[in-house]
Amino acid sequence: MIVEISHFLALLATGLFLLVSCFSLIRSGDMYISNLISRTYSHAFFFLLGSFLIYVWLAITDNFSVAYIASHSNTELPVFYKISSIWSAHEGSMFLWILFLALWGYLFNARVDNEEVLKPMSVGIISLILVGFLCFLLITSNPFETILPFAPSNGADINPVLQDPALAIHPPTLYLGYVGFVIPFACALAFLINGNSHIKWEELVKKWSVVAWVFLTIGITLGSWWAYYELGWGGYWFWDPVENVALMPWLAATAFLHSLSVSIKSSNLRIWTILLSISVFSLSLFGAFIVRSGIIDSVHSFANDPQRGLYLLAFIGLIILISISLFAFRLPIVRSVGNIKAFSKESFISINNIFFGALVFSIMLGVTYPLIYEYLFDQKISVGAPFYNAIFIPIVVVSAIFLFFSIDSKWQRTIKIPFFGGPKILSYFLTVIVTVLCIYYFETNSVTIIASLFAGFLLVNRYLIEIFLVVSRKKYINPYSVIAHFSLGLLIISIAMNSVLSSERAINIRLNESEVYKDLNIYFEDIKVIKKSNHDAIQARFLINDTKSKSFRLNPEKRKYFTRGQITTETAIHATPLRDIYITIGDQLDDGSWVLNIQINYLIRWIWISAILMSFGGLMLIFSSKRKHS
Amino acid sequence: MNLALRLIVLIIPVLFIVMFFVLLSDEKSIPGADYKVANLPVFSLPNLENNSIIDNTSLDGDYIVNVWASWCITCRVEHPYLSQLNKGGIRIIGLNYKDERTDASKWLKKFGNPYDVVIYDIKGTLALDLGVTGAPETFLVSNGEVVAHYQGEVNQMIWEKVFEPVIISRNIAF
Repeated sequence: MIVEISHFLALLATGLFLLVSCFSLIRSGDMYISNLISRTYSHAFFFLLGSFLIYVWLAITDNFSVAYIASHSNTELPVFYKISSIWSAHEGSMFLWILFLALWGYLFNARVDNEEVLKPMSVGIISLILVGFLCFLLITSNPFETILPFAPSNGADINPVLQDPALAIHPPTLYLGYVGFVIPFACALAFLINGNSHIKWEELVKKWSVVAWVFLTIGITLGSWWAYYELGWGGYWFWDPVENVALMPWLAATAFLHSLSVSIKSSNLRIWTILLSISVFSLSLFGAFIVRSGIIDSVHSFANDPQRGLYLLAFIGLIILISISLFAFRLPIVRSVGNIKAFSKESFISINNIFFGALVFSIMLGVTYPLIYEYLFDQKISVGAPFYNAIFIPIVVVSAIFLFFSIDSKWQRTIKIPFFGGPKILSYFLTVIVTVLCIYYFETNSVTIIASLFAGFLLVNRYLIEIFLVVSRKKYINPYSVIAHFSLGLLIISIAMNSVLSSERAINIRLNESEVYKDLNIYFEDIKVIKKSNHDAIQARFLINDTKSKSFRLNPEKRKYFTRGQITTETAIHATPLRDIYITIGDQLDDGSWVLNIQINYLIRWIWISAILMSFGGLMLIFSSKRKHS
Repeated sequence: MNLALRLIVLIIPVLFIVMFFVLLSDEKSIPGADYKVANLPVFSLPNLENNSIIDNTSLDGDYIVNVWASWCITCRVEHPYLSQLNKGGIRIIGLNYKDERTDASKWLKKFGNPYDVVIYDIKGTLALDLGVTGAPETFLVSNGEVVAHYQGEVNQMIWEKVFEPVIISRNIAF
């Protein structure tokens, strides 16, 4: 019964959103219409929110007459996981995705004044997108379906690898990032429909875009961390198709933010900015399509049927085609006013746009090529790290060097950027020393590693010098840019060092015996069975000593979950700032020894720290611009 | 230049959409379907109902193997369709997967038994050899060879798209 109320509220919200988009078609500068749109949207949002909250309540109270809850939750689960089970599969996560889309629209609606020219149309566009996705939810993947009259007494349980706090927050954060780009998208379209080139739509969306970018960055980082310690993948990035479709909007969004800063200042690069705002949201939608249509196999892909894929393709295709046609039609009004001066900040940012565009394009190629190949030749191939490394490393290294020189450039004018001079010469000096030391100590002769280390150190050293100059009040420099780009340098260094230093090995070890790996002495103390409420675990205990005679214990597990019979591996990690000792246990061999997989991952924490620091730069920008407003 | 730019930005998404449409409507892209031909693994397991041993020799000809369990919700969803197939003359062998014997028997009594024989595989050994990752999964076996495999719920659409083409091309009669 309660589920019908929830279902009804969702239907009601769909109808109201449709009404909002109809209202927005009335093109008059009438305040009455603007207010009407604003209020109707708010009501529609609250109906949808109510629907979702009731759904959460149904999940908490174990209402297994709802088919979705019965298949993904269980009475044994803690409340926290009962809630997160909602977004553990297709229907519920789509519901959350739509709710977040509506939430962004609501916040935009609430915070932007009704007199803003572009607002009614933007809210109308957001509503139309919502209607499309709500129809998709209700028609092809209805989370409100019931199994009546015989409701099961218990549910089928959430997939055990999803019973993890990082996973409970990773999808919502990522979704908030993805759908947040609906605001620049809707405003760009509203601007194109309006057709008055004097309207500064860029100003309107700046803060929103940065917030969405921060969420996207944190979401991707959390996902990377989760794959590392819960899935037992033992690394931070795998070029899995779904990681790729999250990275594409991120790269496009990063380029968009840079381009946006130019367009705000001087109305230059407007073509780029609009095209990028359309691309970012389209790529987010493309991600939803890839994951939910079942076109690829991946840890993330949901069980599905082709009908969903066709609906999504048709709807997303329509959104993209309409927006691109509109862009092509209105091209004259977004033409730049003046030319971009050589060696100005604008020129560097347009180069950056090209680099990022190339990265997005190459990922797109990597994701689609295996699909096309399989279609044509009926053979499965996979495009993996070698392909992406070959493209990413040179482009990132070159763009880091461009970034290094762009620090001296000025907005809207050409100044000579000398190759030496000022803080540059000191940066070169430091960078060469550090890089040579690295080559010497790590005994590496790989060109890609050396180039990456060089580029990373160049950025880090340069920004450290700049920070020193700022602190000693010799000059001013944009603090958000410093933090974000300093983190980029840190990220490049961490990734390069991680790949050159880390190592792994599988060793056979018997109970009460020791094995040596690198500087570690591993003693197998004990193995025992632990019984828990929803699983049995085999827990091994290892006492590990390193050469500095520091010792610690690690207890990796293998678990068997009762309700699904699934077996999972729980890694044990000893983390220090310098390195992670990461172990998992495998099977027992016939001779009684156990397979122990050990990895030493250097600087892996710094990869995530850099990413979080980068998003921190964005966060600071949001809060600082807020202060200016009030 | 203007026209060229307009055409390029329009053509790229159109190409992508057409490409994905083609990929989606391709039958091979049904997720979970697999047409690798392999011998049915050697096994010897008890019958769920009377504990007599079932092995490769006791099964001959062509049939469907359906992996199910009483704890599996999706199995319940596909159950009516399996019953319909069975009534239509399709021979279905149940492979009861990691289940309690009493629960499994109760389940069959409560909802009806679409299976000719049910193999009781508490440890999941045969399932492991077949490459089962969870329930439900369905295999089409012809003369001791697995010729089609589907992970997930079998319904009218899956039956028509995944299994019927193989049945027709291999001339399988149940």
